[in-house]
Amino acid sequence: MISLPGLNLSAPSIEPPSLIAPTVTRTQDLSAGTEFRFEVPFSRTLTIKLLSGTAEYFGTELAPSSTYSFSGAKGAIYTWHGAKLEIGGEAESEYVAEETGMMGYANAHFALENLRDKAAQTNDTGPRVLVVGPENSGKTSVVKILTSYAVKAGRQPVVINLDPRQGMLSVPGSFSAAAVSSIIDIEDGWGSSPISGPSPIPVKMPLVYHYGLKDPEESRFFRPLVTRMALAVTSRMEEDQASKLAGFIIDSPGAISGGKGGVYENVEHIVSEFSVNIVFVLGSERLYSDLSRKYSNRPADEAVHIIRLDKSGGCVDRDEMYMKALRQTQIRAYFFGHAGENALGPHSQVADFNDLNILRIKEASDSNPSFRPGDNDDDDAYGSSTEIYEKLTPSSLMQNSLLAVTTAAANERQEVIRDSSVTGYIYIADVDETKRKVRFLAPQPGQTPSTAMVTGSFPEDVPGLVS
Amino acid sequence: MSLPSAEVAADFKDALQDLKINSRPEISNLTIIAKENTEHAQAISRELENHIRTTRPEWKLPALYVLDSIVKNVGTPYTVYLGRNLYRTFMDAYTLMDPGTRKAMEGLLKTWKQPVPESMESRPVFPPEVTRDIENALIKFRTIAVQQQALSQKPSMQHSLPARPVAGVPWRSTPTPPQNARFTAPNDPRVRQPYPSTAPYPSTATPLNHFQPPPSQPPPISSIDLEGLKADLTKIITSTKTAFALNPSDVTIQQKLKALLDLETILRTQTLPPQQLEAVRAQIQNLSPPPVPMPAYSPVTAAHALVHSPQQQALPSFPPSNPTFNLAQILASVKSPVPPSSTPVAPPVAPPAAPTPSLADILRNVSSPAQQSATPTTATPFYPPPFSTAPPVPTPTTTPAIPPPPPNLAQLLAQFTQPSATSPAQSTLSNPQPVPQLPPQPAATTSTLGGTDWVLNALKGLPIPSIGGTPVNAQATSLASEPMIRQVSATTNAQNDVELSTASMKKPRLHLISKLYEALPNICATCGRRFENTLQGKEKKARHMDWHFKVKDPDAAKRGVHRSWYISEKEWIEYREVDETSPEQITKGPTGAAITAKKETKDKYVPVPTDAALLHAPCPICQEKFEPQWLVEANDFVWMDAVKVNGKIYHATCWEEYTRGSNLVAPSTPDSVLGKRKAESANYGGSKMKVR
Repeated sequence: MISLPGLNLSAPSIEPPSLIAPTVTRTQDLSAGTEFRFEVPFSRTLTIKLLSGTAEYFGTELAPSSTYSFSGAKGAIYTWHGAKLEIGGEAESEYVAEETGMMGYANAHFALENLRDKAAQTNDTGPRVLVVGPENSGKTSVVKILTSYAVKAGRQPVVINLDPRQGMLSVPGSFSAAAVSSIIDIEDGWGSSPISGPSPIPVKMPLVYHYGLKDPEESRFFRPLVTRMALAVTSRMEEDQASKLAGFIIDSPGAISGGKGGVYENVEHIVSEFSVNIVFVLGSERLYSDLSRKYSNRPADEAVHIIRLDKSGGCVDRDEMYMKALRQTQIRAYFFGHAGENALGPHSQVADFNDLNILRIKEASDSNPSFRPGDNDDDDAYGSSTEIYEKLTPSSLMQNSLLAVTTAAANERQEVIRDSSVTGYIYIADVDETKRKVRFLAPQPGQTPSTAMVTGSFPEDVPGLVS
Repeated sequence: MSLPSAEVAADFKDALQDLKINSRPEISNLTIIAKENTEHAQAISRELENHIRTTRPEWKLPALYVLDSIVKNVGTPYTVYLGRNLYRTFMDAYTLMDPGTRKAMEGLLKTWKQPVPESMESRPVFPPEVTRDIENALIKFRTIAVQQQALSQKPSMQHSLPARPVAGVPWRSTPTPPQNARFTAPNDPRVRQPYPSTAPYPSTATPLNHFQPPPSQPPPISSIDLEGLKADLTKIITSTKTAFALNPSDVTIQQKLKALLDLETILRTQTLPPQQLEAVRAQIQNLSPPPVPMPAYSPVTAAHALVHSPQQQALPSFPPSNPTFNLAQILASVKSPVPPSSTPVAPPVAPPAAPTPSLADILRNVSSPAQQSATPTTATPFYPPPFSTAPPVPTPTTTPAIPPPPPNLAQLLAQFTQPSATSPAQSTLSNPQPVPQLPPQPAATTSTLGGTDWVLNALKGLPIPSIGGTPVNAQATSLASEPMIRQVSATTNAQNDVELSTASMKKPRLHLISKLYEALPNICATCGRRFENTLQGKEKKARHMDWHFKVKDPDAAKRGVHRSWYISEKEWIEYREVDETSPEQITKGPTGAAITAKKETKDKYVPVPTDAALLHAPCPICQEKFEPQWLVEANDFVWMDAVKVNGKIYHATCWEEYTRGSNLVAPSTPDSVLGKRKAESANYGGSKMKVR
């Protein structure tokens, strides 16, 4: 491992830093049952402090007199009892909403609590929840609220993210699962995966798989990974009593809620693999109706309850620009943490071309079945007997891309590589084709990983992560 | 670097070991060594701490004087190094000292709270958070000493030390007032207490001079008023603390303090509807004594002032050998009625009897049992101590008689808030009605209401919205609906009628929200995590605060923090989340489980009851008395190996044997539904405590 001197590891912000210093503050009174909604672009910072009363941000309570800062966030501070907030900085838009879906979400939580209590009596598995709905219908927010409330009630639910568009405790393009026993970070999505030092919010320990594509249509990756994750989560729940009783909550990608002619293969796949027994449908009337019909005549002991929750009026469409910035922030945060006290120091290393075993996901269009025949003996359960990865020699094209470091050996079968969890991500900073050297960024120092590394079309390259 | 450091330390140690008396030249010599070797301050500090800890008790005081001399004459870095362990250094020594030396140590502590005399530096010698912890420990120490003395019925008190008040301690600015166990040494010496160290004088009047006039006729409460209310409450808490420090054996004050602190927590963490604020305000006003210090109290105030003054030699004017003299005076003064005209605010609750608005009287009116310790009505001298008149010990077969609770303040509170709820117009009145129902002598009866209960009961007495799912308008929370009802058991689902249907999700159920807030009234100010207001909740919060303290590592950034690799599938499946609030030792495997099960019984405990009857009751099974000890986890004095069943306290092991023998199912002490919590509470195997 070589650390390159002169390599600027300090994180430059994506956009120019906030020009308006949040020195001027104002107070905002919220009456009980209302929420303060705001959108802050990545270039600005909004600070919010709870002066009196109680308030929560997607279910996580704001500590009294702590100042929270938001950047690149579209969020809402809800209060059950009324609150007075001190707000600093300027948001892109902000208003107080009187109609929220919170009562419904709270009811959903208490319905789950009933099931958890029941599970505790019978030593059964707690509620197994899937949240579905179109893009921007507030799925992740509902998952957060349900998780926060469960944690508040002393539970330890497992949260599973199957939406590659935004990562949970990891980078976008990944699927992850984590048992949540501590409060969710208000400022930073879900919080942080473990780091080598202390963290002001308890870290969460995720299990991460790399998906590497933007949308979950491809059955070659999505369903096998769902199956694999279901296996891991079920195994964990069998042994971990606290998680078993609390059950799990799955966040899903909006794309699977579209369906094809009223058939939702991916939803059904998740439901059957995870033995989901409660599906919360957000917004879409049609999806609710289709799923209700589909699961209406199941035997009572395997009943799947389809419950529709109102989409919050606060859900805003997040355009591709915002989503991209959000992804880049997530990737940056993976390596650098957040600016200020909680900054992380990734390690820059140089490796020989031969040290890296890079595989690239073959996109559906890339139909070249005989590229590397040979080591593919059995048929895959999902009919993709063709190769799913191709070996890749580093080239300057790979610059700025993200590689998932799997736990599988480089010479493993491709299905094994696909189904293996990842230990982390590295970022290709520079490729020197003449010297056959690759300079890359790894989260922690150590030997260059010799396991298989996977890259795909998603997440997109992050130019300028290291200048 | 380490070698010279060790040499210097060794030299210092040698010199220290020769120090056996309070010898000025030797002490200044040692101070000079320390001053000239500040680069070895850490080693020297360690040596000094070790010496104080290990040397013979009679040589400890000179060594402490060395410490004192060093921190005052040299200052940093010694204050930093010595400050870290000061609590332990001090308390370990204090425990072993005879009363005379203790007094000297208390004098030392007092100077540490002040700036160095004749120095430019305006900060105290040690940071207040260091000395405050010691102060708090001393208060507890005295409490238990006096209780213990009372229990053993040994009127052997030879030295009466004036307890020092803790007035001026910025109680509210402490992040977590009672649970802050940050500096609590692992093996806490506070319980090892062969000598009673203090004299409880019934000077409930002393704190009077700290009081501010209570706010006069209040307008309807707004949030600004809330601040005032909190400020008033803080004042009362401060003065009650003072009273408590002066009179630690007084159960009434203890209870009152607890109640006040609980009330403060409620105010701080929750939004109360206006009527309740009114009620609370009325309550606070009741507790606020009249603003004018009464001349009749001067003897006590003078004695009190003496303690503050640096001239400790003046103390003999309060001769321990002749306590009755002063006591008589005090008693006389306390008894002397105060002209009602001196109270600017007519007390909302006007007792029919001649009003003596001293704190003690008000307290008596509040609700409390065990008045005999608080009320200076009998002209008995110090000994026999207050508890000698304790009620007879109940036999195992009798259940504690529960008399109809006397109309106490809690009920009164409820009474005069009730009408205001039915006719909201009245809620603007601050003192809606005179309440003539106040019994003249509630002191005669034993109330079953404990310290905090009166607050809670008062709040419970308020109108409750129709429970069971009647639609409650979300906007009406502030008035009609009642978010403050504390769910007695957060795990019961009697009211949780949410069904798994889309329709059921739409029904407003605001009463359930209290499970997320009011059921967990104890909020962490740093991160917003909430805890139950139970013993376990407090332990958890204490550990949680410890954790916050631990992760606040200023050096972390320098060491270079990086993200770790994720764990593999297999590791994740076997991984168990670590909750910062659970005890650190986690026993694993089947053997561990068996041991824990065994320990579980033995390590059950209850906090030392405040109820005098319970305090003196032996275990009904084996007839042996309980021994109080300090438990770090609970941050309180507890009876180990004890369970409370049906209002009586048994040895946990006795009870287990009994129930197993008779194959009896223990009357349901509600067990947590969570296996996780059960495991946590079972884990006191590693509890660090000292048996007295």
